Amino acid sequence: MTNLYIRWGGVCVVAIVLIVLTYNHYRDNLANLAPRQVKQEAPAGDIRVLGMVQGGTLETHGAGEATFTLLGESASLQVQYEGPPPDNLRELKILILIGRWNAATQVFEARDIGIVPNYGFIAGAYLLGLLPLALLLFAMNRRVNFLYDEIKTSKLYEEE
Amino acid sequence: MTIHRVIRKVQRFEGWFGGGAVLCLVAGLYLGLIGSPPDYYQGEVVRIMYIHVPLAHTSLLGYTVLAVGSLWYLWKRDPIVDNMCQAVAALSAVFTALALGTGMIWGKPTWDTWWTWDARLTSFTVLLLILIGYLMLRTFVDDPEKEARYGAILAIVGFVDLPIIHFSVEWWRTLHQPQSISMRGVSISSGLLVPLLFMSVGMSLLFSYMLMVRTQLLYLDRLLHAKKGRLLSQFHLSKFDS
Amino acid sequence: MTSFNVIRWIVWKDFVTELRSRETISSMVFFALIVILIFSFSFSMDQQAAREVIAGIMWVAFAFTGIIGLGKSFSTELQNDCLEALQMVPEAKGAIYLGKVAANFAFMFLVEILLFPMFVILFNLEVVEEISLLLLVFFLATVGLSAIGTLFSALTVQIRAREVMLPILLLPLVVPVMIAAVEATKGALNGDPLAMYEQWLELLVIYDVVFTVVSFWMFEFVMDS
Repeated sequence: MTNLYIRWGGVCVVAIVLIVLTYNHYRDNLANLAPRQVKQEAPAGDIRVLGMVQGGTLETHGAGEATFTLLGESASLQVQYEGPPPDNLRELKILILIGRWNAATQVFEARDIGIVPNYGFIAGAYLLGLLPLALLLFAMNRRVNFLYDEIKTSKLYEEE
Repeated sequence: MTIHRVIRKVQRFEGWFGGGAVLCLVAGLYLGLIGSPPDYYQGEVVRIMYIHVPLAHTSLLGYTVLAVGSLWYLWKRDPIVDNMCQAVAALSAVFTALALGTGMIWGKPTWDTWWTWDARLTSFTVLLLILIGYLMLRTFVDDPEKEARYGAILAIVGFVDLPIIHFSVEWWRTLHQPQSISMRGVSISSGLLVPLLFMSVGMSLLFSYMLMVRTQLLYLDRLLHAKKGRLLSQFHLSKFDS
Repeated sequence: MTSFNVIRWIVWKDFVTELRSRETISSMVFFALIVILIFSFSFSMDQQAAREVIAGIMWVAFAFTGIIGLGKSFSTELQNDCLEALQMVPEAKGAIYLGKVAANFAFMFLVEILLFPMFVILFNLEVVEEISLLLLVFFLATVGLSAIGTLFSALTVQIRAREVMLPILLLPLVVPVMIAAVEATKGALNGDPLAMYEQWLELLVIYDVVFTVVSFWMFEFVMDS
């Protein structure tokens, strides 16, 4: 019985290491700010802002610049996108902007777009796929051990 | 006792299967979740494929094993082969259900719907129904020998039926396909292939390991019941003695 | 007694029992009528809408009545240990299977022929020239249903909860027959050119051949004791 728990302890440790590694890998993508937070806190340096491009506000100026309004839950931001606008930049699309907040002009200067992650689906799928299998296997392992003990005590048959 | 020896042999190798499964799955998970780039079309969501596709492949593999084992049982009437069939049916049902579940989770962000009557989803649902029917049938038969025989018959008929079900559902789908949902398969580039391969091999090894454990479980269960003077028909008892 | 005689005697026996008791066919017909009634309450249909769903309703009714008939096919043999007597027939067990398939097919086909005019009347269908094609679809689908249904009728007769288990085991396996029959019936009722639903007829033929052979082979193991 102790052997079984040691083995499964090892599996748990490996699983935890994998979860921590994965979480660290995606932590940057998971942390993003809402437009309201940006206006209130005015953070310096590179930040990531999550919001929706407001309909009818997207204007491209030549190939190298675009301006639009980014709509959050209770606030909106003026955004100036520098560099050629990517395909993903469309009206009514929810996206993540990477850039810096210019507190003087009250304009967000974006230089890149991240995809809105749906990590919830991925985490859900992996948990749904692996957790039941692990639990089932653990239950079966325990039951087999139990049955072997039972058979040994009941002297069902002798060793060859 | 030959069966005893088979069990011992299986036991000696099952650790390799379990260990190999853990190694392959850990490598596959690491490559799939961290090491590989997101897909150009699907973005990060494509990572669900690394868990969904291996589960689906493995459940089909399991059904093939069930059909072969059933044929073997009808031929030799070896009770441990029947234990294997019963074990593989339950495991296949679990894998099929999980494949359907992860497929639904994958469908939500990519096709914006939890469920569509896609050919593959539909035939997997029918497969799950057949497997559940098999497990139910076995609980309703009193004599263990008859239970094994009837189960084997159902498994073989179902195995022959599966390709026909798949083709008929596919034809039916091409007639009634709603235009809003495009069923474009993921074009698999080499970057996606490596983690998929690891996960597939790992899942198959895990399935084999689970199968060994469950076969042992059912066999020992039956042995204990026999000791307590229940179940095990005369037919099986004569096999034990030889 | 040759195997062919076994087949003949079993068909004859089933027909005589049916003529004397009139249990199976009358219960199948009345059950189907109730199904039709419930469907016509559930959907309020004009003629156009009826054309779309009538094939589905028809085959749901036929499949359920077929299952009633199939269930009775072997459960009547339980009385007076007739099943053991059948198992003692010295010829190949496949002959019993073929005889039972023929009898079941005859009952189901008869019920379908009786019910079809009622569908035509109750749902205001116009069928004139396609009647032979429809009969062909009925024939092929009924062969498929009775071929695999007879095997499972024999298999479930000796287990607990057999009335529940027969449809649970049978219906997933006859998914191809149901799809093909519904599509082909729809095509024939709408007067589509044959080329549009030819593939479904081919599928039915393949299914019939494959499952007659497989069930014939597997029946040996069902009866084996």
